Amino acid sequence: MPILSLLIFLPLLATAFILALPTRYKSSYKYIALAFTAVQFVLAGICYVKFDASQTGVQDLAGYQFVEQIPWIRLDLGSIGKLEIDYLIGIDGISMPLLLLSAFVMLMAIGASWNIQKSPKGYFALLMVLNMAVMGIFCALDFFLFYLFYEVMLLPLYFLIGIWGGARREYAAIKFFLYTLFGSVFMLLIIVGLYFSVINPVTGAHTFNMIYMMNPQNYLGDSIFAWDGYQEILGISARLIGFVVLFFAFAIKVPIVPLHTWLPDAHVEAPTPVSIILAGILLKIGGYGIIRICYSIFPDMAALSNWWLGLIGVISIIYGALNALTQKDLKRMIAYSSVSHMGFVLLGIASLTAEGVSGAMFQMISHGFLSAALFFLVGVVYDRVHDRNIYSFRGLAQLMPKYTGYVAVAFFASLGLPGFSAFIGEAFVIIGSFNAASVGTGLPRWMALAGSIGILLSAAYLLWTLQRMFFGEIRLKGGESWANELTDVNSREQLILFPTLALALLLGIMPSLVFSNLNASVLNLVSFIQQFI
Amino acid sequence: MDQLAHISPLYTALFTVVAPFIAFLYQAMAGKRDQSGVISLIGIILSFIFGGLTWLTIWNHPIVSAQINWFTIGASTFKVGILLNNLNALMLFLVPTVALPVHIYSRAYMKGDTGIHRYWMYLSLFCFAMLGLVVMDSLLLMYIFWELVGFASYLLIGFWFTRETAVQANKKAFIVNRIGDLGFLIGLAIIFTQFKTLNLVDLFGEGGLIYQSSITGGLWVSPVNSMDQIWLTIAGLAFFLAAMAKSAQFPLHVWLPDAMEGPTSVSSLIHAATMVAAGVFLLATVFPLFNESALLFIAIIGTITAASAAYFALGQYDIKRILAFSTISQLGFMMVGIGIGTWDAALFHLVTHAFFKCLLFLSAGAIIHEMAHLKAHSHLGFDPQDLRNMGGLKKYMPKTFILMSVASLALAGFPLTSGYLSKDSIIISSFEWALSKGDLYLIIPISLITVSILTAFYIGRLIFKAFFGDFRMLEQVKDKLHGTALHEAPKTMLIPMLLLGICCLFPLFSLNPVSYHDSWLMHGLLLDEYTFAPSHSAHLIIPLILLIGSVISWTIGWKWYVQNKYPLNASSFALKASFNQGYINELYQWIFVRGTLKLAKFCYWFDRFVVDALVAFIQFIVLSLSQLSVWIDKYIVDGFVNAVASVAYWTGNQVRLVQNGKLQTTLYSVFLFVLLGLIYLIFF
Repeated sequence: MPILSLLIFLPLLATAFILALPTRYKSSYKYIALAFTAVQFVLAGICYVKFDASQTGVQDLAGYQFVEQIPWIRLDLGSIGKLEIDYLIGIDGISMPLLLLSAFVMLMAIGASWNIQKSPKGYFALLMVLNMAVMGIFCALDFFLFYLFYEVMLLPLYFLIGIWGGARREYAAIKFFLYTLFGSVFMLLIIVGLYFSVINPVTGAHTFNMIYMMNPQNYLGDSIFAWDGYQEILGISARLIGFVVLFFAFAIKVPIVPLHTWLPDAHVEAPTPVSIILAGILLKIGGYGIIRICYSIFPDMAALSNWWLGLIGVISIIYGALNALTQKDLKRMIAYSSVSHMGFVLLGIASLTAEGVSGAMFQMISHGFLSAALFFLVGVVYDRVHDRNIYSFRGLAQLMPKYTGYVAVAFFASLGLPGFSAFIGEAFVIIGSFNAASVGTGLPRWMALAGSIGILLSAAYLLWTLQRMFFGEIRLKGGESWANELTDVNSREQLILFPTLALALLLGIMPSLVFSNLNASVLNLVSFIQQFI
Repeated sequence: MDQLAHISPLYTALFTVVAPFIAFLYQAMAGKRDQSGVISLIGIILSFIFGGLTWLTIWNHPIVSAQINWFTIGASTFKVGILLNNLNALMLFLVPTVALPVHIYSRAYMKGDTGIHRYWMYLSLFCFAMLGLVVMDSLLLMYIFWELVGFASYLLIGFWFTRETAVQANKKAFIVNRIGDLGFLIGLAIIFTQFKTLNLVDLFGEGGLIYQSSITGGLWVSPVNSMDQIWLTIAGLAFFLAAMAKSAQFPLHVWLPDAMEGPTSVSSLIHAATMVAAGVFLLATVFPLFNESALLFIAIIGTITAASAAYFALGQYDIKRILAFSTISQLGFMMVGIGIGTWDAALFHLVTHAFFKCLLFLSAGAIIHEMAHLKAHSHLGFDPQDLRNMGGLKKYMPKTFILMSVASLALAGFPLTSGYLSKDSIIISSFEWALSKGDLYLIIPISLITVSILTAFYIGRLIFKAFFGDFRMLEQVKDKLHGTALHEAPKTMLIPMLLLGICCLFPLFSLNPVSYHDSWLMHGLLLDEYTFAPSHSAHLIIPLILLIGSVISWTIGWKWYVQNKYPLNASSFALKASFNQGYINELYQWIFVRGTLKLAKFCYWFDRFVVDALVAFIQFIVLSLSQLSVWIDKYIVDGFVNAVASVAYWTGNQVRLVQNGKLQTTLYSVFLFVLLGLIYLIFF
């Protein structure tokens, strides 16, 4: 059974159904979307269960699982050679957990879309296209295919923010779109450069196969990204430029400081489900891209530049946290906290130690559903009174005790309370990046110490928010009418929140659920890169 | 009973830890439906029984430990396990022993509170976290429970979450503790980097990795790694930072007085007897890690803490705050014990302090309980915790008075009490330590002796002001009520207090009331050898100085507070500074809180007006460029096209004039073209 293809293209079928059904059945769209996403989740679950944790993956195609390879485009281009694009998909320990996470977050997003009134047909159709694209990104092993999915992802997001968003939705949508496009356009140049540098050792043709791109022996001696023949562009090593351009393309997605300003705007304007997808999946594509593409195709440059990556990570951690501290808009605060938490991912990846990279992967997964839960929680209040200003609320604990309970758990989970998943991620990023100096990867110890300040600041902004909004005597901006509107979480909302937070707890107590699948791939990746130090 | 003895101590220890957790889960699910707290009580009783069994089987027996795999990250495997040695088993028994009376007491004290189901839930969670902390066999697991303890304390301090002061206090407690947690985390990172394991047995067990490592040529060398020797000191200080926050050491002590916003029963359990002791316990566990400089630093901080807190206690009027500062001060003593290398003495003081401080708080709670009732009945607006509203309570609450006095004597280190034994053990050891080190080091024992006498004074002040003299609210209350309506606390509160009172006396710890060396506890924890020689004269002179000093201080206190011959100016700076805790909170607010907020505001300003403005600027540039190209397109590119068209049009127009049908025009034009042709042929 081509399980991955099924996983990727099922949502397209859902789109077709939704588009085909006349508008008078519009109440059924959400059920169609839910059903298909649920099936997808089951399929992703099957992947998880059937996954062989001992397989390594990364730069070794034999170590990938559920691989499907079909020749897709073959063109004889005369003197340039043959164009060879494969439909090549497969997963290893790095993509599999993210795939499962995406399926889970998609389910949450559908649940959060339950009350969408504005043209549900277009909404759910676009959501399903987006779903297909992100699944494709995590599975694609052919760079051309990857790029295709990557660009396809932008389109539905642009419309989802631009049509279903808040007051300044057009601005946010265009900003988001152009920012990402800016990164990916240059990525295309590097892809073409790589294409002309790499040949398929079997057929002798140029190839877009990412796995071939990871093997130094497949590079032509005089090509632009050649390993042996040193090439320069404007006096800078061509391979370094290739690495840096790809890094920035993905770093915009992560996002790193100072390329992050699209994120608060996009989050604030996006409807709740889109925020959930943005924070839960899209940011992870950035981290995934850095590991899968930048680090694996340019391991020599990764080893060379990890000091800078670590620095960017530390700056993002502290800068994001400080910005979060001063926000008055709850959603914006959480958006900035995402910047801070994703900084840990970058720091962990830059450490180039098994603990650090695993910690970074774990942090991505943990942040995936925790930030989704946080945005969902913001949505709960916003749905009721259409206000998100922290100072508009006070003493909510008395009005909405269950809601407060969920918020408190989500806040404590994301500030890294042990027992919850974020703790494992952050602690091992710190331990790994501290260990880096002893392994000799060039990451100084002070970065680990500086990164830990982010843990302190996250406690400050989250607890302060908790104190301002939920504790104390009741005082609402909207007065009595708000008090009536602010009903406690209903069963649909609990149905989404409870499993999410339970998952955070489960992974915090049993991190082996993720680590055991990661280890082989991460160790392989780390040793693959460390040979270039 | 015989069969019980055959149960592995591992299982009994596990039951001890898990029983409160089950109670917590039950209460979390039952919510408001069960307000009785019976399950929590049963949980802690079970803990008490199993903890006792564990302690009996482990005490002075070989170490027991067991572990299972938890998870593997990269190539390193982390394990979950239990470690039972004398220290851990003692703590495992101590925690439920103190918690049990508090649970019983709470049934009366918290009766009728609308959120009582949450109270039981949090209390059970706290007991679970604390018990987990003391039996875990790896630093990572200890760290997990360490933070859970802080979390439970956050919940309990903010139990009355509608009170602004309470939620400010719990936030402050958590964030200050977080600073310590960072120290713990950094310590973990250093240990893991250096030894590739966090297991306590592997690290600190007999012949463990820590003993196999050494300082060679400026490097700290372990069997698996080496790094600069400065990291050994940093590791020690990092763990001490953790202990400083949790055990409220200067300058991170600021959260503890504020934590008194929680219910008094909570203060007695958490902020006196157990959680704050966790720091001392941690330091005792990782003790072999400390080098000379780290130990000296610990001793100095301990002394500063003991002295400053005793000073702050002098000027407080809130009965709970006095006790809070006395806790901080006593924790300072324990830290000195660690710092001079006698962690057995520190642990001894920890155990005795747990009992008498718990009792002091519970007695204070009994007073507050009665005062609060009086306040409710009389509809007067006064602070039930303020000493200035009390006085003469001996008459109304004689049993509370006796019990609190016993605990106070223990705190002051009066002979025949447990506090005498343990406090002397620290002070005398520190004196011996100082003698072996040099004259300058004598500052520490001398400060401790002074602080001890101050301790006697401030606790005497509390007793005199609360129990002696006349009841100060008598006049106001009389009009509202018939009689004073003040009476003894209910039995449910008194019985646990009585049990604790018995534990404050010497026989529990040593059959010889004057020598701490005979205590079973010190024997059980006995270190192989101290680094300094014993001094016999110190054993005689120091207790005598302390005793005389205390008696003098009480005489003064009696004159000042009972006979009302108060000679000092209450508005003098020294007293004001004491009342305001040395203005440390204001200083922190000014520097750290405001500083961080300012920095955060600046960052946000930077984000909007520099980073995002840059994006807007690029947008502006692109838009300007596109406008420029529109202009070029319109006036230059398209202008050229239009110009060509115009020229063609104009030429056509001119040529059209020729075709007007007149012969002369035709001939004229023929002539013109011939002429032009001739010119072309001639010149080109």
